[in-house]
Amino acid sequence: MIEDLESLVKGRVDEYLILVSDSRELMVKLANGEVSTTQSWRDYEVSIYLAKSGKIAAASYTTHDPKEAIKKTMYMIDRLEESPLYAELPEPSGKEKSRVDPRLKDTALQGDASWVLDELELEEHSTAAGMISIAYTTRRLVGSNRADLKQESTSFNGYIRIFKGGTSGQWAWTSTVYDRVKAARAIGQAASLAEECSKLPHERVEPGTHRVLLGPMIAANLLQLAASAANAGSIILGFSFLQNRGLGSRVGSDAVTILEKPLDDSMPLFTGFDDEGVATRDKVIFEKGVFKTVLHNTKTAKIMGDVTTGNAGWVLPRTFNLEVAPGSLSEDEMLEALGDGIYATNNWYTRFQNYLEGTFSTVTRDALFIVRRGKPVACSSRARLASSMPDLLNSIEDLSRNRYDIQWWEVEEPIRTPYVLVSSMKVSRGASLGAR
Amino acid sequence: MIDESLLYRAIDEAARLGASYAEARYHSLNVFNFYLLNGKVIGGSYSDSTGVSVRVYVGGGQGFASASTISWESIADTVKRAISAARTSATSRKSPARLAPARLGTAKYSVAEKKPLSSISEDAKILTVREALNGVEMKKGDMEIESHTVAYRESVEEKVIANTDGAFVASRVPRVEVFYNLTGKHGALRANRWRELGGSGGLEVLDGMDLASSIQDDVDSLHVNLVKARNMEGTRRLDVVLSPEIVGLSVHESAGHPSEADRVLGREAAQAGLSYRTEMGEGERIGSEHVTIIDDPTIPGSMGFYLYDDEGVAARPRVLIDKGVLRELLHNRETAASFGVESNAASRALDYRSEPIVRMANTYMAPGDYSLDEMLEDIKDGVYIKKYMEWNIDDKRWIARYVGLEAYRIRNGRIEEPLKNVVLEISTRDYYGRIDAVGKDLRFEAGSCGKGEPMQPLPVWMGGPHVRLRGVEVKGA
Repeated sequence: MIEDLESLVKGRVDEYLILVSDSRELMVKLANGEVSTTQSWRDYEVSIYLAKSGKIAAASYTTHDPKEAIKKTMYMIDRLEESPLYAELPEPSGKEKSRVDPRLKDTALQGDASWVLDELELEEHSTAAGMISIAYTTRRLVGSNRADLKQESTSFNGYIRIFKGGTSGQWAWTSTVYDRVKAARAIGQAASLAEECSKLPHERVEPGTHRVLLGPMIAANLLQLAASAANAGSIILGFSFLQNRGLGSRVGSDAVTILEKPLDDSMPLFTGFDDEGVATRDKVIFEKGVFKTVLHNTKTAKIMGDVTTGNAGWVLPRTFNLEVAPGSLSEDEMLEALGDGIYATNNWYTRFQNYLEGTFSTVTRDALFIVRRGKPVACSSRARLASSMPDLLNSIEDLSRNRYDIQWWEVEEPIRTPYVLVSSMKVSRGASLGAR
Repeated sequence: MIDESLLYRAIDEAARLGASYAEARYHSLNVFNFYLLNGKVIGGSYSDSTGVSVRVYVGGGQGFASASTISWESIADTVKRAISAARTSATSRKSPARLAPARLGTAKYSVAEKKPLSSISEDAKILTVREALNGVEMKKGDMEIESHTVAYRESVEEKVIANTDGAFVASRVPRVEVFYNLTGKHGALRANRWRELGGSGGLEVLDGMDLASSIQDDVDSLHVNLVKARNMEGTRRLDVVLSPEIVGLSVHESAGHPSEADRVLGREAAQAGLSYRTEMGEGERIGSEHVTIIDDPTIPGSMGFYLYDDEGVAARPRVLIDKGVLRELLHNRETAASFGVESNAASRALDYRSEPIVRMANTYMAPGDYSLDEMLEDIKDGVYIKKYMEWNIDDKRWIARYVGLEAYRIRNGRIEEPLKNVVLEISTRDYYGRIDAVGKDLRFEAGSCGKGEPMQPLPVWMGGPHVRLRGVEVKGA
């Protein structure tokens, strides 16, 4: 099949890559403690990269008859212009790397996830909302650079939000194999946060600057955004606070080490080859607060005078699995180290005021604890946290030794992250609806 | 387009397998893009996302399945998977889901391309965008645009929907959009301006954008922010005038989203969040008598245009807030049944692999009769926020924040010195309650609205006129 596609472009362009992805996915969505819908997808997608006389075009289509789509793309490329991003395709050094959990594969193929619901015992949580996803995917990449690489993978991820007494807790998990313990722990964490918050008196966080303990959900969101600034595409397009900070410059405290780990097959974005067929490798983005690596494909590497890091998307680089290095404290010790401050367990709607300065604000949701002398003493309504990426990274004091694998609506790429203790963040006073 | 008999066969098969309701949707989304970095084409892309989805109710549970292969064998398999999915859903239902009655359509419609997308070639489209860029002065005094990116996007969305309740709707909606990001630099200071322009129709949408003027105006705003503006000290309670750009965004965020009935019922609680309307019923006052907010899919030329929703229900304008009082929610047939009302046709899906859920179309504040000068003349001490650079809102849609990219102090009815990054952080009640004047200058902005799991970014318009708020807190950066 893929050979038929090659025959349609071979000899008509200077270079090509063809990526065929065939996937089966099941998703169960929950609301109010019941299944609101179950979704089942079967997707066959072909993506094509073409280069001709320095011009670049890409196409993707879901139809099994590619002729019309390829004809349109060939017509289009003749009308484009030489791209300043063009670089010759690299040698395909990538290695095939697959990991399949047979039980997940069978579930995705058969389209019935009811056994997962039974095992996770969600009926115990009458207010639960969330999602559970199971997927099986095969990919094959071929190209004029003699790339011919395959991958087969499964994934199991989800998140649960549980409500109690006007408060809530939320937690997520992600994995490449069925991991009942990990999923059950996430559900338990969500329930526990809601329970703890509901038992405490309500108190508003006072506006001002606070010491903040970021739970893994909110740490995942903010540190993923920090890491994405190291993507050369973000730097070139003007969406990165690292644009004017060279490699080797200090961007955070000694406690900050963030790695990108495409070879970690316990997380869903693992791969042995990038979209250009180059071998992926694990790498350090920030090491003890120092900016170490810009993530490149061959195109951005050429523009910035560097070499590819095996992070190709076809036009701009992409980021695979992320990992934040742990600290040494237990979670109770993190609260003790916080002393007086707030413990934020989840957030959403992080928006940058200025990408180049890295200034942002984000809004907490779910349990937000007011902590005094290392003990949660009250639970607050939603509040807004504001900082800048440089200030955030520089004010990280410590991290927990336990880490959690997070991927959810606000965290697209999987990230393994600990709790993170931040010495100061600006907080705007939140308001509960009851206090309107 | 698909052989329609396949869709009828699909819903018949679903009914035979036990579905109390079935709908089949052919959905094709063809998109052409090109991208310019500092005026140079870095590449183009073409995508064709085409497939069929089947959604069913069995035993009170909902199931959704889709496939990209269009053949009877594949569609029959999709029906079986949808039925199986619905049975999984049904096992945990406390009460069976029901569908409300609705004005279902049998219709075919399409949005005309006055200037067809195919009337000029890709290189001519690139030339049109580049000519607009060439007409922009990218340097102003000591401030210069360090880099700029422009993305052009044209799409054609074709759908055919059939369901067991008798709806049959075929539609074709082309759209043209332009996105740009400007990075301004003044000494060591930098700031961004991101903008999206667009509408439904053919290339007349591009011609009508006046892209050069829009980009030039944003270059000027960056100059104001980076060179001229100064911080406002502290927090003050002042009168505030907001531009149509900010009013459009705010009504989308704090009136449109919270009026989505599925959110009110908690169906999106773990994703797009909650709504204050769970605790505030229809008829409760939330704003002043000057505030009327409408969501209307039927606006010609709009990004969110449709005449029938993805359940085949005939579209109409929905009044969300009428003279400051909460009115109808946005419904699909399932949420309408929960509230004992008829669906008002808010069910939309991004593509063939997306379940239709409750969505906005084009949300706007109805215009009043003030001119901007008339609003200003009554203000002794205030702030005018013309463009924003950052915004967010909590997941109940109650406390919003807007940070001005371009803002000015108002003194004695006159717009005076520019203010840097002025912050308006305000509750929804305060926002709508403190509006005492609404302009007659209704304007729409194009946007992409996010909701769903998997995420379904949908084309919408957000609109409003200038408004004046009395005595609200604003603070410096």
